[in-house]
This record gives sequence, structure tokens and C-alpha cells, in this order.
Amino acid sequence: MRHFKTPLAAGLLATSMLAAPFAQADGHYNGVTVEILTRPGPVIAGRLAERGEEFREMTGANIVVNEVPFAEIFQKLLTDWATGTNSIDVGVFASGWGVELVNGGLVENLDPYIAADDQIDIDDIAPYFREFNQKIGGSTYLITVDGDFQMLYYRRDVLEAAGLEPPRTWEDYLEVAAAVHGQDMNGDGEADYGSCIFKKRNAQSYFAIGSVAASFNQTQGTGEGFWFDQETMEPRINNAGWAEAFRLYKATGEYGPPDELNHDIGDTRALVTSGRCALAIDWGDIGPLSIDEGGEAIRDKMGAIIMPGSRRVVDPASGELTDCNDSLCPHAVDGINYAPFAAFGGWAGAINASSDDQVKQAAYDFLSYMNQAAQSNIDVTIGWTGYNPYRNSQLDDTSNWVQAGFSEDFAQNYLGAIKESLNHPNMASDIRIPGAQQYTGVVLDRELARFLADEITAEQALANIEEAWEEITEDFGRDEQAQMYRLGLGITN
Amino acid sequence: MSLFTPRRVGHMSPGGSAITYLLLIVWAAFVIFPIYWLVITSFKSVNDVNSGPVFLPFIDFQPSLHAWRDLLIEDWADTSRSYINSIIIALASTALSVLIGSMAAYALARVTYAPRLSTVLAFVLCMAAVLVATMAYGVDWRLAGAVAVALFVLMVRGLGNRIAGRLGNGDILFWMISQRILAPVVVVVPIYMMFQSVGLLDTHIAIILTYAVINLPIVVWLMYDFFASIPRDLEESAQLDGATMFTVFREVVLPLSKPGLAATTLLVMILAWNEYLLALFLSTADAQTMPILVAAMNAGERGILWWTMSAVIVVMILPVLALAVVLQRFISKGILVGAVKG
Amino acid sequence: MAADLSPSPTGAAQASASLPARSRGERLNEWLDRNARHIFLWPAVVLILVFSIFPLVASLVIAFSRIRLSGGGFQVRFVGWRNFDKQLFGSEQFHFLGTFGPLSLMGWVFGLAVTAGVIWWIAAYLRAGPTFIGTLGRLFPWGLVLGLGWLLSYTALSGRPFGTLLTTYFYVLVGCAIQFVIGMGLAYLCSRAIRGRNFFRVLFFLPLMITPIGIGYTFRMLADTSKGPFSPLWQAAGLGDFSWATDPWAARMFIIIADSWQWIPFVFIMLLAAFENVPRDYSEAASMDGASEWQIFREITWPQIMPVAATVMLIRVIEAFKIVDLPNIMTSGGPGIATESMSLHALFAWRSLDLGQSSAVAYLLLFVTVVTCVSFFNLVVLRRVRS
Repeated sequence: MRHFKTPLAAGLLATSMLAAPFAQADGHYNGVTVEILTRPGPVIAGRLAERGEEFREMTGANIVVNEVPFAEIFQKLLTDWATGTNSIDVGVFASGWGVELVNGGLVENLDPYIAADDQIDIDDIAPYFREFNQKIGGSTYLITVDGDFQMLYYRRDVLEAAGLEPPRTWEDYLEVAAAVHGQDMNGDGEADYGSCIFKKRNAQSYFAIGSVAASFNQTQGTGEGFWFDQETMEPRINNAGWAEAFRLYKATGEYGPPDELNHDIGDTRALVTSGRCALAIDWGDIGPLSIDEGGEAIRDKMGAIIMPGSRRVVDPASGELTDCNDSLCPHAVDGINYAPFAAFGGWAGAINASSDDQVKQAAYDFLSYMNQAAQSNIDVTIGWTGYNPYRNSQLDDTSNWVQAGFSEDFAQNYLGAIKESLNHPNMASDIRIPGAQQYTGVVLDRELARFLADEITAEQALANIEEAWEEITEDFGRDEQAQMYRLGLGITN
Repeated sequence: MSLFTPRRVGHMSPGGSAITYLLLIVWAAFVIFPIYWLVITSFKSVNDVNSGPVFLPFIDFQPSLHAWRDLLIEDWADTSRSYINSIIIALASTALSVLIGSMAAYALARVTYAPRLSTVLAFVLCMAAVLVATMAYGVDWRLAGAVAVALFVLMVRGLGNRIAGRLGNGDILFWMISQRILAPVVVVVPIYMMFQSVGLLDTHIAIILTYAVINLPIVVWLMYDFFASIPRDLEESAQLDGATMFTVFREVVLPLSKPGLAATTLLVMILAWNEYLLALFLSTADAQTMPILVAAMNAGERGILWWTMSAVIVVMILPVLALAVVLQRFISKGILVGAVKG
Repeated sequence: MAADLSPSPTGAAQASASLPARSRGERLNEWLDRNARHIFLWPAVVLILVFSIFPLVASLVIAFSRIRLSGGGFQVRFVGWRNFDKQLFGSEQFHFLGTFGPLSLMGWVFGLAVTAGVIWWIAAYLRAGPTFIGTLGRLFPWGLVLGLGWLLSYTALSGRPFGTLLTTYFYVLVGCAIQFVIGMGLAYLCSRAIRGRNFFRVLFFLPLMITPIGIGYTFRMLADTSKGPFSPLWQAAGLGDFSWATDPWAARMFIIIADSWQWIPFVFIMLLAAFENVPRDYSEAASMDGASEWQIFREITWPQIMPVAATVMLIRVIEAFKIVDLPNIMTSGGPGIATESMSLHALFAWRSLDLGQSSAVAYLLLFVTVVTCVSFFNLVVLRRVRS
């Protein structure tokens, strides 16, 4: 267990202990051990371990947090469960990976547990996470501990000084980036950057391109999905919308650091928090990070806003980019179609279907404890936990955030952007079908990297992706994949 | 003869020696700088790392112990467990592979082996048949194994008369080294399943055995060359005195091969100490080793904890460095072999 | 052993316990001595058989199938050559081999030159008196050289990106050559009578002690053009807007530098031991006869260290073919696929659970590694040793 103990966090911990729902130590799980596998801490794992300690004191269940490097979590978990080793009871991982595990019959269906749970207050969880992220094929298999989707962050001071509005479309984004690129934004005398977006291969660039491409391709609401045709499973990728997204993504590099092609999100965040970027896209973490130690350069200077959208979208009839109108983009605002991309989907816990019943119940109770408002509403305000909001109660009340160190003004701005994205009817889902890693992490990521490195054109890249995706779909079985894809999108609300 | 007196041969002119020193010092700088950077990074604060290069502690920046505190105090349980695991695994697997490997190497250098080609072929065919049957058609492995043994015996008798070829020591040697060619990524899953079926995952034994085997070929090859270069007359005279192969090996051959043994041991130990992928898969928590701790310092979207990672790497170097200092004295004794060989 | 002892284990224990201790020890010794040749070799063979052959054959089976991990184990479906077909001719061709297109002039010239070289090589061999086995064995290196030569012509020399196969060869050939030359030079210098030898030899050995992933991260720190130690130099040289990470050749060279930093110590320490095993008498005598240092090295020292040098380089080449940690951590194979080695190619496929493709790539790697190493061993090492 590794964590950063700050006086603030310790104080919050103490208050949250008092508020804990089953505060008396009854020890009804004495002797039960729940083995959790997740990424190395302090992010995600650190708070699991701390809350696990509280949970042990309350119930007697021993919560063990095992950590493996991020890139290896899924392989490790799948091997452990599929070969029947079963040394792990709970995997906490990207919710999108759950499909593959559920499909193999490896994950416990949590519906009965939730029905018997009067603490979790499931309706408080934001609709996207409750109905899409936690569910697979209509049943809940995952419990969210972290809500992930990307937003646009901008430097309010820099944009104000230049008399610019925060960008609403990707064209605006390039204009703003160009206008402020090269200014000194943190007072160290060096020229800083108009835009910072991670572009390293085999890292997170796939999530960024999803955020750019979604608003060109998805217009009819979350249930539409923008990756495949729901009936035929034909990829909806080799079109003018994706080509435009590829070009825009590459063009942001003009106003970024010179070695941006080798920057992953960690590098980008280091630049943002040291005040070197006017615009950046990121998950919800930038807010809490700005009040952490090391975020002094941007404290109270950042603004957040929903991901830029597009005035032109792909017309399904012609396949060409067409200006938005009422029938084409029913959710558009001021003629701009937004589709905030639930990149990665957030960290969520799944329970091994082969564990002992008592262990499963203890594991569920612990995940529920993590998820309950009493705990999670504190945890999401602390930067180092890596947890981002996913409950409406986390967004309605700014007091927790102000107590954590936000200014009222920034808390309003930040939560407003999150709320707008979270409750957006046109939120775009990540790929949630078996082989998702092959579709995106291998093929899309690689072709994108080749395009960014000038090896091929956007059109060649998209044609290659289409061909390779069709192969993968054939390998997994077209009908099964189409069914899984529809199940992932089927429940609208 | 003292080990450290300069020898006459190779005595250099002043100019030659100046160039020699210059080259050595240039290389030394190239070797030291990245390590120096690691060491100072482990003492830097987060801001000093993120905001641009600073080079000299106390002058450029104020050293901070935060990374070391995290590693050695806050997370002492993790760190110490991984450290002890790494030490146990490296020592045991090295001892095993050097012992078994040098015996095999000596045998290959001195005894002529001639396995029948037909036996080897039959063995490979039966092995493949068992695997295809169990993996693809779900046949019970005990049944498949029994059938394969019977088949093997039949094939050995049947083929033995038709295929007359025999393999030699060179083939055995090359077969051994070829076991290192396959990239570890493809053997990970089979090895994992092997240990899973006997319930040894996340134990020291699993990792020790795996490392001993993957390093065995290197020991055999390096030691084969050293044994081959030792003159046989000493062994032969010992054998005339009635010494057995074991005695000759222990009393005559091993002492003469100290430089090779020292270098090989050091190398194998380092490979075991630093291996990442197999350790990752064969361990979950109890048997986790240090390289995994290094990788864990990449906090993904939180960026890399450069300071703590540097501290882990520095901590990992120290024991190997101590070992290298000890063993390099043995390597120096290579001079004695030269004296004997004359 | 069974013949020496009574049939049941307990009986054996009683029987041997009743014998005088000396006699029992003698009998054991006798038995050990008679079977020494087996006892020396078999432990190694058995261990390798169990731990290497099973995974080797198992992954060969996987290379010809599609495998899915799911509840209750595996679903294996045979797909024949499909995995290999995809790499060599299908949608992964650009990734493994490279992007093909019309040949440039330079491509033609180089390809024809390689072809002429191979024909000359064949002719030379045929004149020297070929054997059936010898010819058969040489078909592999001939084919490999021809194939790689034309592949280079069609891709890099015609201005198109090449795949992981040639990238791997670049790491192996260029990297190992650099490491051999510098490693041997340092070993030679350190084997001479200089002050501080012990200091230098421990110091030079240091990089090998660092775990490869640690080296990857260290060099990533060093090469950062905005906050790494060389960034002031980089800015001062007016390269502020250029990054090695965006240029394929710069990125590849950078990985070779890190790889060399790590592996030169290996070549160094092994050759140092070899240099120190060379008897001094000959060179002393030659030195007194007035031979130059270079002559002594070439005529006396080199033939003596040649076998060790060959083994060291063979091991180094085998390891170099598997290079994976450095490109994975330093560049993740980017820009594009420029720094992706075959091993990393297999690792990426493996991570996405495409075990079939992963094994297929690893087997292709196994094939080219074996052909290269056997050719190197038979055609270079053995010939030199014989002459």
C-alpha cells in the first residue's frame, strides 16, 4: 500500500469515519479475506487500501489490495480467472474491459446484491454510469468507484488577457491555441504552449481521438453508438468525420510541445500543472490536482468546459460532412453537436463468480461501501485518489469541494462542466464488446500513430482500420459481436 | 606473485598511456552520467523534476528526502518484501543454474554423447501429439500421457532400425542455447499454466525454477568454452592417480575455471535479478520482485513518479554492485590460469 | 540403482543401515562414478525439456489456432496458416514486413547488388566442392539474405516505411557491431597494466546491473528535450522545435544508444576474462622480438580469445533479437511503428489477448533468429576456428 498522507486527507478520513453507515464493529466477516487486484497506487489503489482498513475495523473482513502495472492488469486478471487459479476475488479495472469477462461467465451478477442493499442509493449515480457503465446486457456486473470522461480545460487568465472565449468547436480550439501559443504563461520567461494533448503511441491517444471524433459521428443520443453499425457490425470509421478528426488531432500538435508525439498523459499533466499549457484535454483529475501540492502554478486559474463539438456531422445517407440541422442533430445547441466521450469509462469493481459466497458478499459490501455517497463524495474531492465524480450528489453541493480547497468560483465552473457532460443525452460510449483492446488499443492506436508520424494519410489509416476491424469481427463471430454491441447500447433512458 | 603489481608486458609509452586513460575516462563519464542523474533525481522534489533540469544538489536545488521516505518508511512493508524476494530468488536460481549448468558443460566438453536421432524425433512427435490432443481436443492429460509413452516406446523400436543417424555434443549444445531464442512473451502463458496446475503460483519455487532454466543455456555455453580451454593434462594425471570424474571436476577443473565461473555467476545473477515479465506473471503479491516495483512507479495517467522510481533503481543496484566488487577479485585471478597454462 | 539395492524401499534402507557406513559410502561412490557421464548431463537436459519444450510446443500449437480464454479454460480453434498468412501477406503485412510499392532506382541497384553477391557466394561454394547437406543448410542463409536485401530495396530504399522485421535486424546488426567493437576495446585497454584497473572494471560493469525497464525510464528522462539534463544544450543548438521522438531514425538510434549502454558491459566483462586467460609468454616473446602491439593482438591474442568472443556475440545476438523493454518504455514503438521490434510486436498482440498472432510473430522471430545464428555460427565462427 502506498499513499500520500496529508493532514487534510487524514482529517477528512476522520470525519467520514464518523459518518460511516455501519459504524459499530460487529465483526460479522471475521476471517474472510477479499483479494483485490488493481493498478499500482496511490491512484485508485491507495484509497481502496485505506477504506479497506476502515472496512476491516467495521466488519472484520480483511481487504488485501494487490497491485500490478497498468498495462498488465487485464491479462493478469483474465488469466487468473479463466484458468481457474482464482487467487483474486475482485478486479478493479476499466469498466469497458468487463464485457470480455462477463462474456466468459467469469463475473458475478450483482443485481440480487443491489436489490438487498439499502445503503447504495443507486438512483443517485449519474444515468450514464448507472445504466451503461455498470451494466452489461441489462444486468449490473460492475460497481463504479471512479467516473471517467474527458473535458476541455483552459487557462482563464490567459484566454481573458487575449480576449478569447473558451472554444466550443474544434475549429475554435485551433484558433485559440494558435492565438496564445508561444506566450509565457507561468512567468518563467520561457515560451509556453497553446495546446497540450497526449499523443504517445500505445498510451492514451486513443481516448483523445475518440473525444475528437465522437461529435462528428454520433448525433442521435447515447444509444446510437458511433463505432459500428448496430445491425451489420460494419465499422463506421472510414468516413469524412473520422478523417476530419484525425486531421484536427494532428493539427493540435502544431501548438504543442515539440516532443508531444512521445508524451503520455503523465507528461501532459506535468506540463499543465506547471502552468505551461493554455488548453488541454483531460479526465476530471485536473481540478483536484490544481489544489494539491505541485498545482500552485494553476490554482484558481483553470476553467473547465464540455468537450468541443462540431457544426458539421456525418450524414448517414451520404457519408459526407453536412451542417447540423434539427433532424440531423436533435441534441445540438446553437447548431453545435456535442458528444462527450466516456473515455475509459472509469474504474469499477467486478467480483469473481467462482469465489466463495461469503467472500462474494463481503466483496460486494466493500465495493458498495466505496461507492456510497458518504465515502465517495469525500474521495472524489481528493486529487491523489484518482477518483472523479459519478454521483449527482457529488455535483450538487459545492461544500465538500470548497472544504477540500477549491474556490467557490472554480468549484461552480468545474462541477458545471462535469454536470453538463455527465447528463448529456448524447454522451458517447467507449467500445464495449469482446476484443475491445484489439480494436482500439492495437489497431486504431497503431494506425493513428502512423498517421501522426507521417507514414500514411488519414484516408489510408482509416481504410486500414476498417479492414483490420472487419477481420477481428470475423474472428470473434459477427453475429455474437453485433449482439454484444447492441446489448451495450440497448438500454436508453 | 602479487595480483596487483603491474606486469611488464603491455608496458606503455607515455603517449600511449595518456590515450588509454583518456579513452577510459571518457567512457567512465558516459557510464556514470545516467547513474548520477538517477541518484540526484531520487533526491529531487516534484517541482525540481517537472520544471526543468537542475544538476547539482545544494547549489541548483535543495535535496529532499521525500522519495526515500516513501520508499523506506511509508511503504517499508512492500519494499522489504520485494527486496527479500528478489534476493532469495536471485541467489537460489543462480546457484541452481550454475551448479547444473557447469556440470553439463563439463560433461559436454569431456565426454562424447551420441543420442539416436530416431529417439529424439520420436520424443518430439509424441510430445506434440500429447499437446494437440489435450489442448485442442480436451483429452485428459493423464490418458494422453500414457498413450504417448506407449507410442514413444513403439516408435523408438520401430524407427531405430530405419533412421541410423546420431546427434553429437555440438547438437546438444546448440539445442540448449536455442532454448533462449524464443521470446519470453510466448512462453509466459504455458509456464503459468504449468505452475498453476501444480499449485505453485506466487511462490519462490516457481520463479526460482523458471529463472534457473532460462539461464541454464547461458551457463552451459559460457562454461563450455572455459572448460574447453583448460589443458587436459592436469585432469589426466589426476585420473591416473585414481580420481573420479567428480573429484577431478571439484578439485582440478573448478579451481582453474574461477574467472569464468565468477563472470558467469555474476551475469546469471544479474539476469535473474532484473527479469520482469515472467516474475510479473508468476507472482501476485507474496513472491513479487523488485523490477515489478520499478514498473509500479509508473502511475499511468498520474505520470511517472520519477523520484521514487529512481530511488528504487538505486536500491536495486547496491547489492549487485557489492557482489561485483567481491567477484571482480576472482576475475583478476585469471592471471594465475595464464601462469599455469604456460 | 535398483540392481544394487533390494526391491522394496524400506528393505533397502534396512539393508544399507545394517552395512558398515564406509562400505555404503563406497557403493554410492562407485555407482556415481560409473554413471557420472549421465549424472553430469541429465539434470540440465531434463530441466530444459520440462520447462522449455512444453512451452515451445504449446505456443507452436497456439500459433496455428485462435485461442480464447474464458470461463473454464480455453477455446482453441485451429485456423491453419491464417495467423502467418496475415503477417506475411494479409492486413498485418505492412506491420511485419513493410509497405510495398514500386521500386526506386536505388532499390533496384541495391537489390541487384545483393542478388549478385548471393550468386557469387553460391558459385564460390559450388566450386569448393559442395555436399548435399551443406547445400541444403546454406539454402536458408542464401534465401534470408536475398529476402532481406529485396525487402530493404522495396521499403526503406524506395522511401516507404518498413516493418518490425527490418527494425529488429537494425537493432541486432548495428547494435551488436557497436557493442562488440567498444566492448572489446575497453576489455583490451583494461587488461593492460594500468592504474585503477579494478576501479574501471567495476565501474564499466555498472550499467548491466540495472534492470532493463529501469534503463528505459532512465534514458527517457535523459532524452526529454524540455526538462532533461541535455535540454539546455539542445535549446542552445537551436533544436528546440525538433524532437528525436518524431524522427524514425533518430528514435531508432536513441534506442541503440541505450541498448549499447546496457550491453557493452556484458561484452566487456566476458572478453576481459578471456584476455586475462591468454598466456603471457607468447606475447612477451613476440614483444621482445620487436613485434608491434597490433601484430601481437592480431597474431597471438585474437586467435586465443576468438572462441569466447564468438560465444559472447552469439549470446548477445540472441538476446538482441528479443529486444523489447527499451522500445516499449522509451517510445512504445513510435513514432508510427518505427521503433517496434518483433518481440514488442508480439507483446502488443499478446496484451490484447490475440495469443495466436502473438505466437505466430514469435515463431517468425524464432525462425529468423535460428537461421541467422546457425549461419553465423557455422559460416563465420567454425570457419575461422578451423583456419
